[in-house]
Amino acid sequence: MVIEFSVSVDSNGLLPVVRVVGEIDVYTCPKLHKVLTELMGESSSSVVLDLQEVHYIDSTGLGTIAHSARQLSKENRHMHVVTARPQVKKIFEISGLTSKNIRLFEEESHACAE
Amino acid sequence: MATPQKVVVEVPAESEFVAVIRLAVSGVAARMGFTLEDIEDIKVAVSEACTNVVQHAYPVGPRGVVKVESIIHQDTLEIVVSDSGSGFDTHHIVSPKMQPDAPDHGVFGLGLGLTFIRSLMDGSEVASQPGEGTVVRMHKRVPVQPS
Repeated sequence: MVIEFSVSVDSNGLLPVVRVVGEIDVYTCPKLHKVLTELMGESSSSVVLDLQEVHYIDSTGLGTIAHSARQLSKENRHMHVVTARPQVKKIFEISGLTSKNIRLFEEESHACAE
Repeated sequence: MATPQKVVVEVPAESEFVAVIRLAVSGVAARMGFTLEDIEDIKVAVSEACTNVVQHAYPVGPRGVVKVESIIHQDTLEIVVSDSGSGFDTHHIVSPKMQPDAPDHGVFGLGLGLTFIRSLMDGSEVASQPGEGTVVRMHKRVPVQPS
């Protein structure tokens, strides 16, 4: 079963939250890239990327997230990624990205409180 | 020994078809008795190889195809991802960790993809020559069932 991909932005909280549903791969990551780029231009705070409804991500998705995280870090902002899925966490850990400017959280409330 | 069964899927080298390959290969893996975690690993590894074809194999001219063979051995799934595109010199593959300040265009390319294939599968190899396409072979052993 393929779940339809969607990206939405919730700007009502302390930090803007980008919520992604579906699979992040070479086909869908341009949509995520567009939303992140627009949000980073409009907001001056750190960004929460909620991947709780994402069950698949690969190097293209990580590349998109790393690119945005690098842009944020140039302005002393941060990328907080929310996922409790072991497979998604494993992909971040193998890539080594979490040791750079991306922090992983298991719950959105914790990511927004940082 | 009986000839191993083979499932062959060929799709246009376009980004929207990589998910189709994932579905097909995960179906074969599920049938062989891989765990859910193993199936997720296989999906990432095969997608990385296909993504490389989509992004790099056909830079000019008409887009070709990506062919994925899932070969069902008794205790191992072997996957061969091939294209007839531009190919490359395999000596030029570098790990993303060797390039901390890689070009800032939001795409890691084959370096990180290969890191995933090597980390998530039990073995892999890349064969390519400029102008002669690329073949990525990988395999994963089926976990032994407790008796």
